[in-house]
Amino acid sequence: MKATAFGRRFLLYVLPCLLASFFFLVYPVYVIRPFRAQGVRELAVALAVARYRAPFMVALAAAVFAALIWYWRRERRWLRRIASAAAPLAVVAMALASRVNIYELMFHPLGPPAFMAAGQSKLAGDEMVIAIHVSTVARAYPIRNISYYHVVNDLVDGVPIVATY
Amino acid sequence: MWRAEVDGLRLRFHLAGINDQNFLMRDEETGSYWQQITGAAISGPLAGRRLTLVASDELTFATWKAEEPHGTVLRELAADIPLYSKKDWDVRMLKAPTVIAYPESGLSPRELMVGLHGFGASRAFPYDGLLKEKIIEDHLGAEPILLVLGQDGHSVRAFRRRIPGVAAIADFYRVLAGQSASAAALLMDSATGSEWSFQGCAVSGKSNGVCLERVESIKDYWFDWRHFNPATTVYRTHSAR
Repeated sequence: MKATAFGRRFLLYVLPCLLASFFFLVYPVYVIRPFRAQGVRELAVALAVARYRAPFMVALAAAVFAALIWYWRRERRWLRRIASAAAPLAVVAMALASRVNIYELMFHPLGPPAFMAAGQSKLAGDEMVIAIHVSTVARAYPIRNISYYHVVNDLVDGVPIVATY
Repeated sequence: MWRAEVDGLRLRFHLAGINDQNFLMRDEETGSYWQQITGAAISGPLAGRRLTLVASDELTFATWKAEEPHGTVLRELAADIPLYSKKDWDVRMLKAPTVIAYPESGLSPRELMVGLHGFGASRAFPYDGLLKEKIIEDHLGAEPILLVLGQDGHSVRAFRRRIPGVAAIADFYRVLAGQSASAAALLMDSATGSEWSFQGCAVSGKSNGVCLERVESIKDYWFDWRHFNPATTVYRTHSAR
């Protein structure tokens, strides 16, 4: 199929938007991944991208939709119209994917923690726990359990704490 | 273990990434990113702020239960049991690769250390060495300290070696099992002749009822401790120096 002038203009406009969306999605994941050393500066950039990308990705999606409308006003062939819809769908998909916390997909978070009396627990005596004593309250967090969640948000006698491992 | 608030604002944290094999957290309230091992915010509106450490121990459940019979322990979720680490997870982790190593130290990256930070200094004690020595008297900066292995052979605590009300810095000795009338007695000190429990409290003698001040410690892999405590020193036994 021979490209039209407005088709080429559409591609020239949409391709950078797609690439930018891809960068916003992938760069933090690329930098912040296990078994890789993170440089100080690249980590700072990756975290900044992760924090600020949402409005940019919304703007990119809006821009690509606007381009799609512009293109559809000129393009009458349905096959090309359908093919061109892939661009905004891809940008929206990337924007949605950027909202997913892949670390919590790998290690799903623990909701409000529940506790049982020490005497009722069936934990073996040699199991290691992280233990705290806040005011009059003593709590233990089995390491084999919290090492899966990595983060446990808790309130101990009114004191908010985060148990990490 | 961190106090999850800054300037009165309660923070709820989520696992959010990894930095040099130490994980990052993100708080819901401000979107700031925090380094787990240091409790420092490294990105976001709270960047530069630090969480306050909550005193904690890494103990065997039996030791903890004996000390805190009225305590409570985190319930397992039945659906998550298959996901929890296996019993030998710590042995398996020794073989996991690291992206950081400090070969000039002569220590293996995954050598387990007991790390202390305070009095203007950081110091790491090889855990295996502590298992053999059972009691280590040393200094953290200029502060005399004591590391003690519990009767269970796994739990470790650290204390300042100053007995409240006593001018002299005491030396501590391990009491052999069965030697004392008190089952809790683990140590004896040279300044007052008192016997001391694993909780660092005197259970007999002139200092009966007095407790040593705890020094926070953390068990960590050497590469991780060294990476986030670059000025750390390492305790070596006389034979290893």
